[in-house]
Amino acid sequence: MRKLSDTSFVRKGYADVLAFNVGAIIIGLVISAMMLLFLKKNPIDVFGTAFGRIISDKYTLGEVMVKATPLVFTALAFAFTYKANLFNIGAQGQFYAGCIAAISLSLSLGGRIPGFILIPIVLIASFAAGAAVGSFIGFAKAKFNANEFLVSMMSTYVVQALMDFLLRTSLRETKAEYLQTDPINPAAYLPGILPGTRIHLGAVLAIAAAVGVWILLYKTSLGFRIRAVGNNPDAAEHSGIKAKRIFIISFAISGGLAGMAGLTEINGVQHMLLQNFNSSIGSFGIGIAILANGHPIGIIFASILFGFLNVVGTTMGRIPGLNIPASIIDLIQGIVMLCVIVSYFLRGHVMQQREKKLLMAKGGSV
Amino acid sequence: MQPPVVEICHVSKYFSKVIANSDVSFSVGKGEVVALLGENGAGKSTIMKILYGLYSAVEGEILIDGKTARIKNPKDAMSYGIAMIQQHFSLVFPHTVTENVILGNVHGWIRLEEHDRKVKAIADSYGFDIPVTAKVGSLAVGIQQKVEILKALYLNARILIMDEPTAVLTPQESETLMQFIKDFASRGNSVIFITHKMKEVMEVADRIVVMKAGKVAGIVDSRSTDEGELARMMMSSDLEPAVREDDTEAGSDVLSVENAVMTDRSGLRLLDGLSFTVHSGEIFGIAGVSGNGQDELCEAICGTSHLSSGSIRFMGRDITSESVRARIDAGIGYVPVDRHRDGMIGQMTLSENMLLKKSYGGEWVHHGFIRQKELDNYTADRIKQYQIKATGPDDSAHNLSGGNQQKVVLAREIDAGKHLVVFNQPTRGLDVGAVERIHHSILSEKREGKAVILVSTELSEIFALSDRIAIMYQGRIMGIYRNGELTTEEIGLLMAGVDYEKAQ
Repeated sequence: MRKLSDTSFVRKGYADVLAFNVGAIIIGLVISAMMLLFLKKNPIDVFGTAFGRIISDKYTLGEVMVKATPLVFTALAFAFTYKANLFNIGAQGQFYAGCIAAISLSLSLGGRIPGFILIPIVLIASFAAGAAVGSFIGFAKAKFNANEFLVSMMSTYVVQALMDFLLRTSLRETKAEYLQTDPINPAAYLPGILPGTRIHLGAVLAIAAAVGVWILLYKTSLGFRIRAVGNNPDAAEHSGIKAKRIFIISFAISGGLAGMAGLTEINGVQHMLLQNFNSSIGSFGIGIAILANGHPIGIIFASILFGFLNVVGTTMGRIPGLNIPASIIDLIQGIVMLCVIVSYFLRGHVMQQREKKLLMAKGGSV
Repeated sequence: MQPPVVEICHVSKYFSKVIANSDVSFSVGKGEVVALLGENGAGKSTIMKILYGLYSAVEGEILIDGKTARIKNPKDAMSYGIAMIQQHFSLVFPHTVTENVILGNVHGWIRLEEHDRKVKAIADSYGFDIPVTAKVGSLAVGIQQKVEILKALYLNARILIMDEPTAVLTPQESETLMQFIKDFASRGNSVIFITHKMKEVMEVADRIVVMKAGKVAGIVDSRSTDEGELARMMMSSDLEPAVREDDTEAGSDVLSVENAVMTDRSGLRLLDGLSFTVHSGEIFGIAGVSGNGQDELCEAICGTSHLSSGSIRFMGRDITSESVRARIDAGIGYVPVDRHRDGMIGQMTLSENMLLKKSYGGEWVHHGFIRQKELDNYTADRIKQYQIKATGPDDSAHNLSGGNQQKVVLAREIDAGKHLVVFNQPTRGLDVGAVERIHHSILSEKREGKAVILVSTELSEIFALSDRIAIMYQGRIMGIYRNGELTTEEIGLLMAGVDYEKAQ
C-alpha cells in the first residue's frame, strides 16, 4: 500500500473550494430567480434592478456589512463548540442574554459616563451574560451528561421568556405603549466607521472576534486542547486533559461570542430592545458556520454573503410597483444554502475521483 | 486435469488513496490448505473480502471450478460454497448456539429440537464439543469461534476463509483449531487462512501465498521452505532480531501495586486483588489471553480509571487517587493497546500529536501560546530518529501506516515516561519489521534504567524481552516467574486458568 503526498492536493484544494462555492451561489441565485417566474415577474429585471440599486447606493451596500455583523458572532458561537465536537444550537438565547446585559447597562449608564468607557463595559457584560448561559449548558453536559442539543435549544426559550418578562416590567419604555425599551442615550452608541452608511464599530469587533477565535483555536494550548477533545476525547483523557472541563470552557466562550452580538445590535443598530428582536440570527449562524466548515475566517465571508442575500431580498421588496413579498429573503437564503451544502458533498466526491484516477495512472510503478 | 476450486486471476483493487491489491493471482485446490501470509496492510484481508463479495474488484476475475464466477455479495459467495469467518464474530450473544447457526436460513415455524439435533450432529462429526442449547454469550471465545465455523458447515461450505483465526485464542485452543483445519481439508474441502504468524503457517498450510504491498511476493510449498525464507519474502530487508541481555541486577522499586481490586458497575471483579513490584532497569512482562484484566491494570496505572481498593505506589509516593496529569508529570508513559482510540488523534498533525501530553506546560507552550517552530523541530527530529515514514511534522497522523503511527506514539511516550513506560500490546497488528524496531526501543529503555511493563498476548514477545513474567487470568496474577523458568506449555496452562502446580 502506498499513500500519495497530500500537499499538491491541499494547494489545489483552496481553488476548488472557491470555485465550487462561487458556482453553488450562482446556481442558487439562478434557481431563486426562476422562483420569481411563479410570481409572474421577469427575474432578470427584478435581479437587475436590485443589484443595480445595491451597487449604486452606498448606504444599501453598507447594509450588507451591517446585516453580516451579528451573523459573524452567532456563526462563531456555533463553530467554536463544533470544534470540540459539541453542538450549541442556542446562540439565539445567548444573544438575547447579551442584549439584556447591553440594554440594561446602556439605559442606566448611558450619558452618565463617556462612551469610550461605557462601550468596553457593555462589551464585557454582554460577553459575560452569553457566557453564563453557555457555561450552564456545558455544566449540564459535563455533570449530568445532559444532551447539549436539547439543553441549548431549550435555554433559548428560557432566556427569551426572561427577556419578555423584563420588557413588560423593569425595562419597559416610559410610555408603556409597546413591548420595547426606551432608546438608549447616543453616548452609548457604537460609533459609525463609514460616513453615509450604518456600518459601525461592531463590524470591526466581528472581524477581530473571528481572527481572535482563529488564534485561540490554532495557536494556543487551550485551543489545542479544545480541538483535541473534539477530535478524540479518549486520547485527550489519556493525556491528562479533562474533557468535562473543556466542555464547560468551550460552551462559555461560545455563549460569550453569541452574547457579543447583543452589544453590536443594541448599541450599534437598533439602539433599543424590542420583542422578537433579530429572531433568526441564531439559526442562520448555524448555517453559516456549516457553510464555512467551521473555519473562523471563512465565517466572515459566509456572513457577508448572507448579509448580501438579505439586502438583495429587502431591496427587491422595495422596488415600487412590483409587490414582491418579503419572504423572498428567506427563499433566496434557503436555496443558496442548499446549493452550497450540496456542492460541499459534490466537491468531496470529485476530489476523491481525481485522486483515484491519479493513483490508477501511477498504479504500475508502485 | 481437474481445475482448481478457486482461481484468482489478476485481481486489482483501489481505495480512494491506496492500492490495496495489484494484479493478485493464485489458486486453491481441492483438499488444500492455503495460507495468506503477510504484514499488516499487505492486502490479505482485502483479497479475501473480494472473494467473499464484500468488496468488488476493479480489475481481474475469479474462477470457481474453472468457470468465471460473479460474486457481488456474500450471498453469491455462499451459493458457491464460500464461507468466511471474520476476525470479529458476527454472533447474537443472547441466542443459543442452534439459533445462531440457523439464523437467516429458516422460515416460518421453527422446530427447535429438530434443529438442535441437526446442529449437534454436524458438531459431532468434527469432534466439536459444543452445548448447542447454551447461550452464545456465556461461552468461551474459542467455543464462540467454533459456533462461527458451525455456521459455515451448516451451509455446506466447501471453501472456508478464516481471517486471523488464532488472534483471540489460547495456545491450546489454537491447537484444536489447527486440528480442525486439517480434518476439514482432508474431507475434500479447501481452506484459506489469513495470518501473520509463521509458526501456524508451517504447521498447517500446504501452500503459502506471501503478500507484500498489495502484491503476491511469492507462492511456496510449505515442505520446501522455512521461517527465515518466509520472513525474507514478507519484509524488504533482513533485520537483527532484538536480543535481551542477560539478567541484570534489579534496581530500586519504581512501581508497587498492592492488592489492586477494580470492579465494574455490576460488581464483577475486573482486577481481583493482584500485587507486584517493578524495579528500575527491568522489563516486567505480563502474559495472558486478552480480556483478562490487562487493559484495566494499565488504565489503573496511568490513571484513566481508579481502583476500588488497594494501592499503587510510584517512586515512593502513593499515587492511587492522583489524576492522569499528575501521573504524566511524575514520569509515567503509557502506550495504549488501542492507539487509534486512546493514543493519538488521527485528524491532527504529527506535531500536535507530540504536544498531546505536554499542552499544560513544558518546552512547547509559552504563556499559553504554542511554540510551533520548536515543536516542529522536535517532531522532525523524532521522525528522523525513529525512521517514521511521513512527509513531515505537519503530516496528518491518519496518513501514516499502522507501524509508523505506533512509532509516533512510542516516541512521545518514551520521552514522557521518565521513570516508567507501560506498553500494552505495543506490536499488535504490526508488521515484522516494525515489531523488531519497537522491540529494540523497548530494550534500550531498559538499558537507560527505566522500569518497563510489557503487556502482550504474544508469548514469543514476552519471552524475547521480559526479565520477569507474570501471567494474568481473570483479573488475577497466576504467578510471577523469572524468564526461563517456564516452558510455553506451562505458561499456556496458566493463561487458560489451570494452576499447573496444583494440577500435577
